[in-house]
Amino acid sequence: MGAIAWIPAMLVGAVGVAHAGGDPARGEKLYEDCVACHPIERSVHGIGPTLYGILGRKAGEMADYRYSRALRDSGITWTVEALDTFIAEPQASVPANRMPYAGMPDAADRADLIAYLKKVSKSSAP
Amino acid sequence: MATKLKEVDAIIVGLGWTGGILAKELTEAGLKVVALERGAIRSPEKDFAVPIVRDELRFVVRHDLMQNTTRDTLTIRNNPSQNALPMRRLGSFLPGEVVGGSAVHWSGHTWRWTDLEFKVRSMYEERYGKNFIPADMTVQDWGITYAELEPYYDKFEYIAAVSGKAGNINGQILPGGNPFEAPRAREYPLPPLTPILASEMFTRAAKNNGYHPFPRPAANASRAYTNPDGSKFGACQYCGYCQRFGCEANAKGSPLITVIPIAMRNPNFELRTYSWVTKVLKASDGKRVSGVAYTNLLNGEEFEQPAGLVLLCAYAINNVHLMLLSGIGEPYDPVAQKGVIGKNYCYQTGAGATLFFEGRHFNPFMSAGGSNATIDDFNINWDFDRGKHGFVGGYNVAGGFNTALPIGYRPVPRGTPQWGKAWKAATAKWYQTAMNIGASGSVMANRYNYYDLDPTYRNAFGQPLMRMTFDYKENEHKMGRHAAQVVNDIAKSMNPTRLNEATVRTQWTVVPYQSTHNTGGTIMGTNPRDSALNKYLQSWDCHNLFVVGANVFPHNASYNPTGPVGALAYRTADAIKNRYLKDPGPLVPA
Repeated sequence: MGAIAWIPAMLVGAVGVAHAGGDPARGEKLYEDCVACHPIERSVHGIGPTLYGILGRKAGEMADYRYSRALRDSGITWTVEALDTFIAEPQASVPANRMPYAGMPDAADRADLIAYLKKVSKSSAP
Repeated sequence: MATKLKEVDAIIVGLGWTGGILAKELTEAGLKVVALERGAIRSPEKDFAVPIVRDELRFVVRHDLMQNTTRDTLTIRNNPSQNALPMRRLGSFLPGEVVGGSAVHWSGHTWRWTDLEFKVRSMYEERYGKNFIPADMTVQDWGITYAELEPYYDKFEYIAAVSGKAGNINGQILPGGNPFEAPRAREYPLPPLTPILASEMFTRAAKNNGYHPFPRPAANASRAYTNPDGSKFGACQYCGYCQRFGCEANAKGSPLITVIPIAMRNPNFELRTYSWVTKVLKASDGKRVSGVAYTNLLNGEEFEQPAGLVLLCAYAINNVHLMLLSGIGEPYDPVAQKGVIGKNYCYQTGAGATLFFEGRHFNPFMSAGGSNATIDDFNINWDFDRGKHGFVGGYNVAGGFNTALPIGYRPVPRGTPQWGKAWKAATAKWYQTAMNIGASGSVMANRYNYYDLDPTYRNAFGQPLMRMTFDYKENEHKMGRHAAQVVNDIAKSMNPTRLNEATVRTQWTVVPYQSTHNTGGTIMGTNPRDSALNKYLQSWDCHNLFVVGANVFPHNASYNPTGPVGALAYRTADAIKNRYLKDPGPLVPA
């Protein structure tokens, strides 16, 4: 832990801390990019599937949403790492998936977003 | 025999932008509202998700979201000496027929029309004298002002997620915006869309020619957005499928993702789809309407739905048709110049050039509905002296793309064969290298451009089709020549490899698509002698009947109509909630 002690105080702001674990409050704000298509309530799908309980789920596993073949066949389990890779550049990660979203290039943004998804999944788990 | 249903507080005929706005506002005011919509319900989840939505055959060729002409259409002619014939297939314009109306498939261009339109006769007469406006040009003042409408424009822009850059906030001219626009109270809710190469090149060229380009304001959310009602928008993905398609990213300002779902959650609201209104029923006193007659399209069953208020919110053409079929107001007679229903039908005109730049890659498959740059130097700029050119009105000029479809968009230099090997080679060679510059021009009302009921042809319900009599007149020819010249001058200044020059439109034809901006027929105004509605869009004849849409415009501007259509709908909602319900009767003394 001593290793970070030399970092100038101005860099040890909310962003630096958030990057380690992710800041769910900031993630909730970032989720505005997603919410127009992805509801966060259980079994309620929009243009995209609900992201309720996304962590730990297998890609394409919900029977009541019509996924692209690419996503169904991807074999992905949505761990934090898998989500991070996918959200960074969805088309590069799973080519021919149908999500019309260009991606979230900033790693800190993704960490916060995933922290939010994690929090929502936990707090609203059945 | 028609089944008579239980009376409701209000009926909305047609559930698009205006019907959706009124449904939300009036149900929130406590009214029991029933909306009757001809079309089906479509949902973004089921119908506009990728890849279903990217279907040019379904949405463009087969008009999935548009009026079914086998059931009802119009007859068309250019002047009263011709025999009008039915339009068997949609062409020049594309009325929506679906929950959400034409606002499901629009591109989102949202403009604020100014006093140059609302005070057209008084401003031109004051500046150029009484004789400047030709005797057969039946333009008249609208009875409203820009200042009255400003708060409602603002409301609509914030609800519909309009992306743009203000050029004039409270009289202060701001860099990057439209310097000619009328003063607005605040900035657009969202920053402008990202420009594409074609709009950047047009912007540079327009500046070099001394004009004032700005990014076109459009209800395509430039980033994720939550509107004041809490409706969520995604960011526009520049997918290239905007006009004629639903939005795959929930980025297009549409009633389908804003006001309609809010009304649907309200227990005061009921939507009946596949419901075709055949007539508005007059009350026995003749001063009110008592409800509507409609047919369930799925089984042919007929109903009478009584109501305290009737709001016609169908497509502009169909609102006028319903008024004529119902015998409300005196039909317009162009010979005697008497009557008002059907009067002042207007369309739009234009001129377009295609520029080819060898070696350039425009990627025309990537654009938003509104990703182009525009100049208004010859439009709402009152310093532009029309006196020298002898025309009333104006045109805007724009460069960019909107929905350049993979199959339908085939730019080739003039002189290329229209099929065969040479065409194939040319389309492959030039596809990536072409961009467009287009002018969209106003059309002033003319005595002989009008609607009435066709004497011969009937629709599936045995009712007369609406007859449209329209052509461009001398005023449009003069303006079109001026516009083509300006477009070509800008185009040539860009040194394209090849240029398909803009030419003036002289005669209107219903066959190729031009624009879905049909206006007039039940116009608003200051008195019942020369208008059908007062400035609250309330019928002069029956005070519990309101007719909302572009059919209320006394003439057509160069701008797309949805800005004032939305603003006027909010204004009518306010007038009903705050004044009419407290004291039902005419809101303006006749």
